[in-house]
Amino acid sequence: MNNNNLLINDKKLPGDLAMWFFILAELTVFAMFFIGFAITEYLNQQLFIEGKAQLHTASGVINTIALITSSLFVALSVNALHQNKVKQIVWYLIFALLFAFIYLFVKSWEYQSLFLQGIDIETNTFFTLYFLITAFHFLHVVLGMVILIFMLLKAVKNAYKENHSGFESGACYWHMVDMLWIILFPLIYVI
Amino acid sequence: MTNTQALISWAILVFLTVLSVYLGQIIHSTTLFSVFIFAIVFFKGQLITDIFMELKYAPSRWRIIMLGYVLIVPSIICAIYLI
Repeated sequence: MNNNNLLINDKKLPGDLAMWFFILAELTVFAMFFIGFAITEYLNQQLFIEGKAQLHTASGVINTIALITSSLFVALSVNALHQNKVKQIVWYLIFALLFAFIYLFVKSWEYQSLFLQGIDIETNTFFTLYFLITAFHFLHVVLGMVILIFMLLKAVKNAYKENHSGFESGACYWHMVDMLWIILFPLIYVI
Repeated sequence: MTNTQALISWAILVFLTVLSVYLGQIIHSTTLFSVFIFAIVFFKGQLITDIFMELKYAPSRWRIIMLGYVLIVPSIICAIYLI
């Protein structure tokens, strides 16, 4: 066997194949939401300009940085897993969860401040889509955090010593949640 | 992926996030701005795919699917804004 064949055989998909199909399904649903939002904006330009002006861009920036940082810690925890450094895995996951909590806190504060202004899901088409898309993403963050907590509890027991697949699957799901926000943030807050 | 690569990617992602908001304040052409923003989205998506998800070292079809997503979806949105 030559070197090229060895390199090809070394290429391995991180995590379970089933998780990747789940990730693709999730990405497809969000793609429809994003494109639907853009088309509706095209048809209601003035309404969307006014709606976006009422959003708190700084909280969007804080949330983007919180999710990116959380993703960094998850990536570092995967590296620690490959080196079998249990203590580091646990600490990195705790930091990842802390930054995820910052996202939940800021997003909840943002919803609360909109509600206090009398804005809700029925206010107009812009806010219907805003609440639907961001709340759907919020639920994915919550699910991702449940997965991270599960990974943390198993890591504490050193249960990933032999098989890394479950840990890598959870990590990739979390990166997907981050990637979705990377598209969502400019679409809703910036442009 | 090494820890250094992950940290550099994180710094670039944070920089690009701040840059996209800054560009929104200085560029007044929606057309030009949309192109810039979605180019940034693609670059950020590529970093997450290759470095954080480690698909750079995975079978190429999965990398192509993920990179295709962060290229095609923002491109469709950008095309709608440019109409």
